[in-house]
Amino acid sequence: MASFLPPDSTAPEAVLLDPGFLQKLEMLSLVSRRRVRGDQRGERRSTLRGRGIEFADYRAYEPGDDYRYIDWNIASRLDRLFVKLFSEEEDLDVLLLLDASASMAAGTPSKLALAKSLAAAIGYIGLVNLDRIGVTAFTSGPGPRLGRLRGRARAFDLFRFLGGLHPSGQTDLARALRHVLAEARRRGLLVVMSDFLDPHTYEEALLLARHHRFQTFLIHILAEEELAPRLGGDLRLVDVETRRAVEVTADAEMLRAYADARDAFFRHIERFCFRHGIEYLRTVSSVAPETLVLHYLRQAGLLR
Amino acid sequence: MTLGSPASLWGLLAIPLLVALYLLRVRRREHLVSSILLWQRSASTRTGSRPWYRVERSLLLVLQILAVAAIVAGLARPAVVGRAPAGDDLFLVLDASLSMRARDVVPTRFHRARAEALEVVARLRAGQRAGVVLAGPRPLVLVPLTGDRSRLRAALGAAEPWDTVGDVAGAVSLAAAQQPGPRGRIVVWTDAAQGGLPALSRVAYRLLGTSDDNVGITRFRVLRDPGGTEAVVRVQNFGSRAWDIPLEVSRDGTPIYRTALALAAGESRTVVFPVSGAGVLRARLQIRDALPEDDQAVAVLDPTPLPPVLLVSPGNPYIEKVLALLPVARAAETRTADPSTWAGFGVVILDRVATGPLPPGNYLLIGTVPPNLPMSASGVVPRPGIATWDRTDPVLRYVTLDDVRVDRALALAPEEGRVLAEGRVPLLWAYEGRGVRALLLGFALEDSDLPLHVAFPVLMANSLAWLGGGTAEAGAGEILQVPAAGAEEAVVTTPEGRRQRVHAVDGAFVLPPFIRAGLYHLASPAGDRQFAVGTGSARAGMIRPGEVPGAQVVATEIPATRIPAAQVSPASGSAGSVPDALLTRISLWPWLLVAAIAAAVGEWALATHRRGAEA
Repeated sequence: MASFLPPDSTAPEAVLLDPGFLQKLEMLSLVSRRRVRGDQRGERRSTLRGRGIEFADYRAYEPGDDYRYIDWNIASRLDRLFVKLFSEEEDLDVLLLLDASASMAAGTPSKLALAKSLAAAIGYIGLVNLDRIGVTAFTSGPGPRLGRLRGRARAFDLFRFLGGLHPSGQTDLARALRHVLAEARRRGLLVVMSDFLDPHTYEEALLLARHHRFQTFLIHILAEEELAPRLGGDLRLVDVETRRAVEVTADAEMLRAYADARDAFFRHIERFCFRHGIEYLRTVSSVAPETLVLHYLRQAGLLR
Repeated sequence: MTLGSPASLWGLLAIPLLVALYLLRVRRREHLVSSILLWQRSASTRTGSRPWYRVERSLLLVLQILAVAAIVAGLARPAVVGRAPAGDDLFLVLDASLSMRARDVVPTRFHRARAEALEVVARLRAGQRAGVVLAGPRPLVLVPLTGDRSRLRAALGAAEPWDTVGDVAGAVSLAAAQQPGPRGRIVVWTDAAQGGLPALSRVAYRLLGTSDDNVGITRFRVLRDPGGTEAVVRVQNFGSRAWDIPLEVSRDGTPIYRTALALAAGESRTVVFPVSGAGVLRARLQIRDALPEDDQAVAVLDPTPLPPVLLVSPGNPYIEKVLALLPVARAAETRTADPSTWAGFGVVILDRVATGPLPPGNYLLIGTVPPNLPMSASGVVPRPGIATWDRTDPVLRYVTLDDVRVDRALALAPEEGRVLAEGRVPLLWAYEGRGVRALLLGFALEDSDLPLHVAFPVLMANSLAWLGGGTAEAGAGEILQVPAAGAEEAVVTTPEGRRQRVHAVDGAFVLPPFIRAGLYHLASPAGDRQFAVGTGSARAGMIRPGEVPGAQVVATEIPATRIPAAQVSPASGSAGSVPDALLTRISLWPWLLVAAIAAAVGEWALATHRRGAEA
């Protein structure tokens, strides 16, 4: 049974999102649990108090304040000057980090196909809501990247970029993440889509993102055959990324041991995310993107 | 559990080879996976990569090993020994060969066999019958089927081995011919040293013996020729190890010859040395082997081994000259055929003299036919020629008649006896019966050039030796007829000193078969004679236990010198043990063959299934 499919842009999975799904996405918006700070007015509360329309607080007037925001009613009653503070509505910086390593070609449809669909959906939601969307496809380092897009009109740029991604190379999330964070000018929402089958440690890099005040959301995508391999006999398993091999005798005992290692792997990620306030969602590539976005991502709190 | 062919177990070495080949031929299918991270973390992955783990886990290999092991084990002919169901009748056959006197089994193989047979008799069920056959040179039913245990015990107790080769196969056939019943069984105690045992159903063999360690004298005789007298000693090493053996020959107790023989395994050596005088020669090998009985031999050194001869002839210079040369005890000549004067001679030569009926005695008849012999002559045949003659007969041994011409001969018409040479008519005829032993030459010596040939003195010597009762040499198991020379009774003294009285029958003493090798003494009023009896066969000293047919083998087969005597199956002779003779061997090889086939089929099915699954 073939468990690894080579990338094929002509496959049906190349069609990222259908029009009906796009219409549904326009009803959604990205949820940021933190107040973010943007460059331009957006539709998101900023940490800055000021020109927004949503009242936030009062404070004593200080020289230089804009007296258009002095609450003259309070001044008449208390004979003291107070200025009204508003939450400034700013745009949200959303960083989408896609694992485009060779291992993402596994699954039917491939893990990369699901990751691209999710990125397209999340990115489209952000563009519709005037958020700034940045997309980076990483392997052992930052790969192709798409600059910060804003506005619905850039949706086609986003789709085109995602459609051009093909799985290749090795996974090194930590290296890619450090590079992306180093170039990030603003904090925001970081969505990482990967299989996390990374021989390197990436936990420190995720903590670094948290240190940069990025709200981090991990979407863990796995293929069915990675969850439950259907193998038998004496095998020489070759890693599609590293070309390293391991010899196994795939019998029932071996598969039980694999299941134990898999579960331990899952528990480790879940505990790490829970401990550090990182949102985590695990899925298999066979789940429809529409189901994943409209149900699971909303339940997970990434969308509303 | 017994093994019929333990050497086949060397085939088990194929199993490590099979495992090695399996390890070498591991062909893992290459399979691309997105990551080996989780496989590496699987604890079993590391163990699974160990070669021995693969071996342990490989059912295919296990089945292959099972198949090979089953085949090899089957080739080793394993069997389990169990108590056989009680049969109707039981025939006990004891090998009475010289090799059964070997002492590698304490006290001897024969004693052990007899003890086991007695134990079998003691354990006979009520109403069960048994018989005893002794496999001597001529098989002998000691006791026919009977339920009388005392008779069986007595027969077994009196049974003795012979100093020759026993006819075990004949004894088995004889026992089978006694019709021991549909469920009857025949149990044979033997060392199978001579091989050739029949694989009959219902026949169980108890193999005895642990060693082939024997050197023996296979021939010891005195040879005479005009140049002098020589003793010939032939020594054979029947064992598988080399020996340096001192040989000593004495005459009447006085050593006359000593030498040392270096004999490799299986090698034989013949020693010839001159002797003179008269007396009893004894040869002895100074060796301690498993069979001391053949380490010594006797020969009679008699300057006149041929009997006293009376020549009744009108005159024959050829015969007179030959008699002067041959070592006859006494020679006399007369022209008158008076039977009353013949009594004192061992052989009477009647040369062309007409006689009346012959009195009992030994006669060489030349050109004359007495009336009381089953022979008639009807005229004369010119140039009858000599077409054939029996070279194997003692009378014609070393006699060549190729170029002998005969001008005329009597037209003989024998009614009995045997023709030893003939052309168009019988020319040499031998007869024994009615107290007469006779050789008849159908032509006068003057009518032939036979006296001018070397064959003539040889023929005369052979004829006188045969007519006089043969030489003073015989083999154990042989029956010897000695001319009575007018005596009615004689006493035979065996090498052990036992005396036995024999009576003359038809003018000859028929001596009982010689059981033991050694010096026998015949004393009669006509004179005393000594006979040197050797082992009955040159192969009698071969004591290496052989193989018995695998169908119904009893107890363990014990190879030769590699196994010490202490490894004799304890059940075979120890008191109170179950007699092996009541045990039977159930061959396991058919089951092992089935197991091998099942393992092979299982392996094939599993391999096919796996390939199908992988496809």
